[in-house]
Amino acid sequence: MFSSVYSAALNGLDAYLVRVEADISDGMPQLLMVGYLSSEVREAGDRVRTALRNTGIVLPPRRITVNLAPAGIRKAGSRFDLPVAAAILASLEKIPGDSLKNVMLTGELSLSGRVLPVPGILALAEAARDNGIHRCIVPEQNAAEGAVLDGMEVIGASSVAQLIELLRHPKEAACVRVDTDRLLREQSCSREADFSEINGQAMAKRAAEVAAAGMHNLLMIGPPGAGKTMIARRIAGILPPVTLEEALEMTKIYSVAGLLPENTSLLLGRPFRAPHHTVTAEALAGGGRIPSPGEISLSSGGILFLDEFPEFKRNALEILRQPLEERRVCISRTAGTYIFPAKCMLVAAMNPCACGHFPDRSRCTCTEGEVSRYLGKISRPLLDRIDICTEVPGISYEELTGKQENESSASIRKRVEAAHRMQQERYEGLPVRFNAYLNGSQTELYCPLGKKEKNLLKNVFGKLNLSARAYYKIIKTARTIADLEQEKRILEQHLLEAVRYRLPDGTYWGKGV
Amino acid sequence: MKDTVEAYWHWLCSSIAGDPGLLWRLVEQYKTPKGVFYAKEEELAMRFPGNPKRIAGLCAKRRDWDFEKESENLRRKGITFVSCEHPAYPKRLGVIPHKPGGLFVRGGLPEDEIPSVAIVGARACSVYGREAALWFGRELAGAGVQIISGMAAGIDGFGHQGALEAGGKTFGVLGGGVDICYPEFHRGLYMRLEREGGLLSEYPPGTRPMRYLFPLRNRLISGLSDRVIIIEAKAKSGSLITADLALEQGKDVYAVPGRIEDPLSAGCNNLIRQGAAIALSPEQILEELGINPQSGSENGKRGKIALEKAENIVYSCLGLQARNPEELSKAAGLPLAEVLRSLTGLELKGYAKEIYKNNYIRAL
Repeated sequence: MFSSVYSAALNGLDAYLVRVEADISDGMPQLLMVGYLSSEVREAGDRVRTALRNTGIVLPPRRITVNLAPAGIRKAGSRFDLPVAAAILASLEKIPGDSLKNVMLTGELSLSGRVLPVPGILALAEAARDNGIHRCIVPEQNAAEGAVLDGMEVIGASSVAQLIELLRHPKEAACVRVDTDRLLREQSCSREADFSEINGQAMAKRAAEVAAAGMHNLLMIGPPGAGKTMIARRIAGILPPVTLEEALEMTKIYSVAGLLPENTSLLLGRPFRAPHHTVTAEALAGGGRIPSPGEISLSSGGILFLDEFPEFKRNALEILRQPLEERRVCISRTAGTYIFPAKCMLVAAMNPCACGHFPDRSRCTCTEGEVSRYLGKISRPLLDRIDICTEVPGISYEELTGKQENESSASIRKRVEAAHRMQQERYEGLPVRFNAYLNGSQTELYCPLGKKEKNLLKNVFGKLNLSARAYYKIIKTARTIADLEQEKRILEQHLLEAVRYRLPDGTYWGKGV
Repeated sequence: MKDTVEAYWHWLCSSIAGDPGLLWRLVEQYKTPKGVFYAKEEELAMRFPGNPKRIAGLCAKRRDWDFEKESENLRRKGITFVSCEHPAYPKRLGVIPHKPGGLFVRGGLPEDEIPSVAIVGARACSVYGREAALWFGRELAGAGVQIISGMAAGIDGFGHQGALEAGGKTFGVLGGGVDICYPEFHRGLYMRLEREGGLLSEYPPGTRPMRYLFPLRNRLISGLSDRVIIIEAKAKSGSLITADLALEQGKDVYAVPGRIEDPLSAGCNNLIRQGAAIALSPEQILEELGINPQSGSENGKRGKIALEKAENIVYSCLGLQARNPEELSKAAGLPLAEVLRSLTGLELKGYAKEIYKNNYIRAL
């Protein structure tokens, strides 16, 4: 007898529906799996047969054919065990056939009949919802994750036996409920690292605040042990709390990458990713035969921190250029193009030279050439994507041990939130959300300057040998500083401060004529 | 050019580079370079048994020396050769012991009537040294003084650069052939020196800059100058050789003082202890050279620009030791954002300089 049930397969961050069909007919006794399957999907047959037997259901000695449609797309992963079992059970009439209508099933089976968790539930549930299916049966550990979707009934199954019960008495099934509003409300209370723990470094803190307020990429230069990593870790904490939309996207990415902790419904708190400098280009941007998200996508909505910036492999850094500009990663394979979000804020840190002590010449042993070569390791186009640069000087004993009152992250966050709100109002209805995302012509349009301010910039342009890119960066940064002060217009004072955050060029590094 | 005195000097200087002592003993023996050229090889070997390699080299060079081709070669490279008998040969060099037999020149030579000052010092200099070199170079050259240095990395290069900024004349004495730019990253400076001053060397074109050639070169730097300013030198520095040579040649040596614990100033401070003059400002040097510092110099102009109140306070906290905005904010008692704004204002008006990310000094 023929029966079918819906499941879903991942394709990058998105999922598509797969219909799992089973048919039992006369013929050589065997379980045949078809539909362009990778080997882990083909193995589902053996897992299902054994899991069913250990639940007390022995497959009859007949020919069982299982097909995963559409047969033209290759299917991978272990998430088809549960729907295959359900389809076979329906063919055997162990469960009513119509109980499988409008249900999406996913899950891996253990030989004992237990249901094991699988990655990517949120994306799968979303695909089901988009196709008009409003009921999902997923592994128990994943149920909370799927349940965050509005209008989706999610039921957790822990074993094949329970699945049969669920399908026999669908009315009695208990749906998992998640109150996303409450989760979002409560998120801001739990932050571990706070800016109040950092003594001194007022300059770097201010730069971090400005960067966070406009989502500008930030470069910190300073000797080892000055506190660059400490500052970077705390930047996520001064960004506004995540919105439901952002939380769903983050959760989806982590879920697809298999990094979502069990029994988590929504990822709250902005990510902070600090890949080691030996990271490969693929790990950074995402890759694999069936691409999975890389660090730049895992940090979407939060901070991607690259410590020892010049030590990263050149090709790994260069791959960041396009994603930082477009705020998404495109990976092309013969099977199609995969798109992952990359809305992260890049925070890079580096020593001023190989020994780390430049410009303190009594300690630095590098020659001029070595010092300028050190910065030269980072390509100009990549530096061009960083708006704000600051120095993090070494810290004195007095500053380190002093008991000062430092401003807390919560109070900095209030200002940043206000600046974000101003930007949201200004860019209403545009794809641009933050000042850092403006291109040249948009900068002209949304950051108009008065006569006095234009004159000042003209003076700066000539005196400091600015490039066109540096020019727009200064205007964008000034816009953010004005937003922090809730000022509608960009004033001279904002431009004057913004100039101080520009990137070092050749002349800073002790290079002569 | 065949058979002229110049041509024989050219040959002799090309044949023994890096040993002026031997050169002059040869000339003394045979009266003229031409005499050396026609001296018998056995005789040369017998009379100068201490340098068999050099004599052999000399003779080998002599055998296939083509006067026409060699002078054509120089012309093609844009190099002129000036022997010590040529009227253009700098008079200042004429009196030093072991003067070079001739100079290979690109661009011009320093003029005898115009005062000239050497600016030398450490290659790995600090910001303090760099700013001092730029300042002395700029102000002295602006007042018409010729700046002599060695085009090395660090102080030398900044001395030249300062002079060029002021539109003055500056000359680089190289430790290799005059057609070789060393260090390579000074290519831009090398080209400007050729156009706006001169490059000279006693070594023939194509000579690679070798370690042992530099101390010899230093006697030309001091020799071409009336005064020598040492800006930053470690306790054992090549610049101290220049200072010693300058004293031997009877030139005044000035040292720019540094902080006592600073290893980069140890050499200079030691010179001062031994009695060298202290260089405190370009005006002082100009005065001692008998030149009136020009009233139209930059310091004069600056006083007229009005500074805002906060800028004035921040400016008073700036010095030649770099400070970051945080320190300035504490010292000036102003909020950080205000200090940042003032710094940009000061930088635009030419009062402050960002020498390195977030490190500011007072512009000299």
